[in-house]
Amino acid sequence: MAVSRSLRRNNAITYVLAGSLCLMFLYFFFGSSDLTSLPASPRQLLKSKDAASNPLSPPSLPFRKQDPNEIPAPPPVVHYHMNNVTTTPDPIGNRESVLILTPLARFYQEYWDNLVKLSYPHDLISLGFIIPKGKEGNEATRLLQERIQKTQSPTNKNRFASITIERQDDEPPVAQTESERHALSHQKERRAAMSRARNSLLFTTLGPTTSWVLWLDSDIVETPPSLIQDLASHDKEIIVPNCFQRYYNKDKNMMDIRPYDFNSWQDSPTAQGLAEKMGPDDILLEGYAEMATYRTLMAYLGDVNGNQRHVIDLDGVGGTALLVKADVHRDGAMFPPFAFYHLIETEGFAKMARRLGWKSYGLPNYYVYHYNE
Amino acid sequence: MLPSYASSAHREKMNRHGYGAGANGHCSSGRNFSIPTDKYDKYQPRSRNAFQRRRGLFIRLSGAIAALLFILMIFIPSIRPAAIFPALSLGLFGSDEAFQLETVRYYDLSNVGGTSRGWEREERILLCAPLRDAAPHLPMFFSHLRNLTYPHQLIDLAFLVGDSKDNTLTLLSDLLADLQVNPDIKGTFGEISVLEKDFGQKVNQDVESRHGFAAQASRRKSMAQARNWLLSAALRPTHSWVYWRDVDVETAPFTILEDLMRHNKDVIVPNVWRPLPDWLGGEQPYDLNSWQESETALALADTLDEDAVIVEGYAEYATWRPHLAYLRDPYGDPDMEMEIDGVGGVSILAKAKVFRSGVHFPAFSFEKHAETEGFGKMAKRMKFSVVGLPHYTIWHLYEPSVDDIRHMEEMENERKQREAEEKAKQERMEKIQNDFDDGASQWAKDKEEVKNMQKSSEAKQAGEADEKSSDVKKTESSKKESDDSSKAESPSKGEKGKQGGSE
Repeated sequence: MAVSRSLRRNNAITYVLAGSLCLMFLYFFFGSSDLTSLPASPRQLLKSKDAASNPLSPPSLPFRKQDPNEIPAPPPVVHYHMNNVTTTPDPIGNRESVLILTPLARFYQEYWDNLVKLSYPHDLISLGFIIPKGKEGNEATRLLQERIQKTQSPTNKNRFASITIERQDDEPPVAQTESERHALSHQKERRAAMSRARNSLLFTTLGPTTSWVLWLDSDIVETPPSLIQDLASHDKEIIVPNCFQRYYNKDKNMMDIRPYDFNSWQDSPTAQGLAEKMGPDDILLEGYAEMATYRTLMAYLGDVNGNQRHVIDLDGVGGTALLVKADVHRDGAMFPPFAFYHLIETEGFAKMARRLGWKSYGLPNYYVYHYNE
Repeated sequence: MLPSYASSAHREKMNRHGYGAGANGHCSSGRNFSIPTDKYDKYQPRSRNAFQRRRGLFIRLSGAIAALLFILMIFIPSIRPAAIFPALSLGLFGSDEAFQLETVRYYDLSNVGGTSRGWEREERILLCAPLRDAAPHLPMFFSHLRNLTYPHQLIDLAFLVGDSKDNTLTLLSDLLADLQVNPDIKGTFGEISVLEKDFGQKVNQDVESRHGFAAQASRRKSMAQARNWLLSAALRPTHSWVYWRDVDVETAPFTILEDLMRHNKDVIVPNVWRPLPDWLGGEQPYDLNSWQESETALALADTLDEDAVIVEGYAEYATWRPHLAYLRDPYGDPDMEMEIDGVGGVSILAKAKVFRSGVHFPAFSFEKHAETEGFGKMAKRMKFSVVGLPHYTIWHLYEPSVDDIRHMEEMENERKQREAEEKAKQERMEKIQNDFDDGASQWAKDKEEVKNMQKSSEAKQAGEADEKSSDVKKTESSKKESDDSSKAESPSKGEKGKQGGSE
């Protein structure tokens, strides 16, 4: 009786095992057909939010990790409906993706904290950094990667869609001290190198799905969290907020603010007259006593208590914070590293965009803040 | 005194002490052997709960359910594991997909500068082709792609399809899918992007309007826009080179990428000619946009307004520039280089760093030029080397112009006329032939008649000359016969003579 009982129990186990084995067989028979048909699907349509199936994909999109053990499938043929990439005053409602580009020389924790605090849906934000290869650049990269590791961990629901870090060893965009950096003689060279860095970053990360490009310098440490929505809501092709700096005012014995970025301006006849007398490779610069241009500077039009939505036309823009419709860049507007109508970098960009039929605008009463060294 | 006995008594005592009397009945029996009692506990029926008691039933039940599931899975594909598991896992671990995604990419741009031996250093090339109404040329273009000797997995393809009215898009995706699914020995290509964007251009792409002077400036600007969109969407930090290629190139060396790359220049173009029908001279320079700047052209540029665009090959702008195309020597050294300022867009190989640093195809008048010529100018402005190869030639497809078509129609008409004439002649000949045949048969009839007549006359003569001597009769008849044979010869000769005359 005991023997037959144990036999019966064994039987039950055998049946279960056999059954599960059967299940495996069936799974491989039927399950496999679905699996093999996946990589062969010829037409794939990628939208801004989708993840790409192959590492060979636009850097503005995340991609599926590949199993190191299996032979990777050939990259699929991907269609992008660029007619459907919109730029509207309601970017969140229309799920428009934003690319935030930063030429990084030094890493500031405040910059990253401010970035993470942006209220725009993070799954629609891609970040791009370009960092020089010097000692300082390595340090900045290390700090950046530490933060990224924390922010981009898979458990973080609020991580960014994708992050691209580029290293270049051409010329360091900014490696000088504050005082050196603004010396007139260095300006052209420095800003030409900066332009090249910006262009490299822009044209390798733009991709086919980006709607807006936000240029945000690595030393912008304080912006309203709704920066992207606020700027986009004006529906302007190029729009720039007013860049100020917080400092300790010794006269008043209290924290105060002062204008920082002088590259956003409306042109003046004086400046145009100066330009006419210049050689083809000379550039006009703003904020130097040697070169009085009498342009209307947006920095001096700011009023803390004024209407934040007040918009003015601009002829030159600064790049500390700058929201651009991706179409403007796609049409070819870039940051000229040479004298373009005697303008260079972001000011030259505004001019080039103008030549392509796009206009620039400024928000004199909408502030972002620059780091104070 | 057996120590064992003593010990047993002691043990019994110990037992009694340890378990108490009659703990489980064994000790109280008084027997002097003892088995550790707790051993038997194991074999006591445990109190089984309801689940354990019905385990068999559960196993059978679950087996039945599993079997049912199998059968269902066989007949209903949607509930098969492949479909179930992702849904299940998503429900259980919400972040599972997040673990599968890689969001951070790191690139070192100093590795993608581009060198003269890119195929050895595994340098990636982005091949760009803007398309509009290009369906007729696509199969040819794809055969060129398959023939390229550069490692295919290092070539990324990017197409911009815009404002097409024919089936360019569907044909392109079919050809591309075929290219990736059925790769040849050289393997599959890298990333393939098809960008669909309509700019709403109204410019016609047919040969005549495409090359008309008035339409040039706006046409070049819109072409430039398309090129910039294509490039900015497809350029990646991994690219060392960018190759622009028109789809209507008919003949090009398979090694063109390596051949151009070997020169290690920032921007390099081959010479572009096109074959012509023999009546037009056999061949012709095609791409006149590759040129060296001239003083005349610079002076001309200064007189033009800001938005004007100088275009080459039109009498309106006599620039006197040395053109790459006209400097071709079919027997010249294909490696010979020539510094140029404007470049043509049929086949441009450029280092990706040129585009990364911001050089693009101006869709505005940049130094009085637009599109590829402006591209050359801008590259020069940023101090990149721009070079053309005058004796390295690729061949553009010959598309006849309206004049050519008219000329061809005339030639076709002439040919038809000639054919018609020949046909008429043939018919006449045949008719004549027929006539001749009729004559011969007529003559045969005549001959027959003559013979009959002769016979009848002979018969008469025989009747009359019965009385005449047989000698005379014989000579008479032989003479008649020789007459007949001579008669048979002469008319045929006459016919032949006539025939020869008509020819």
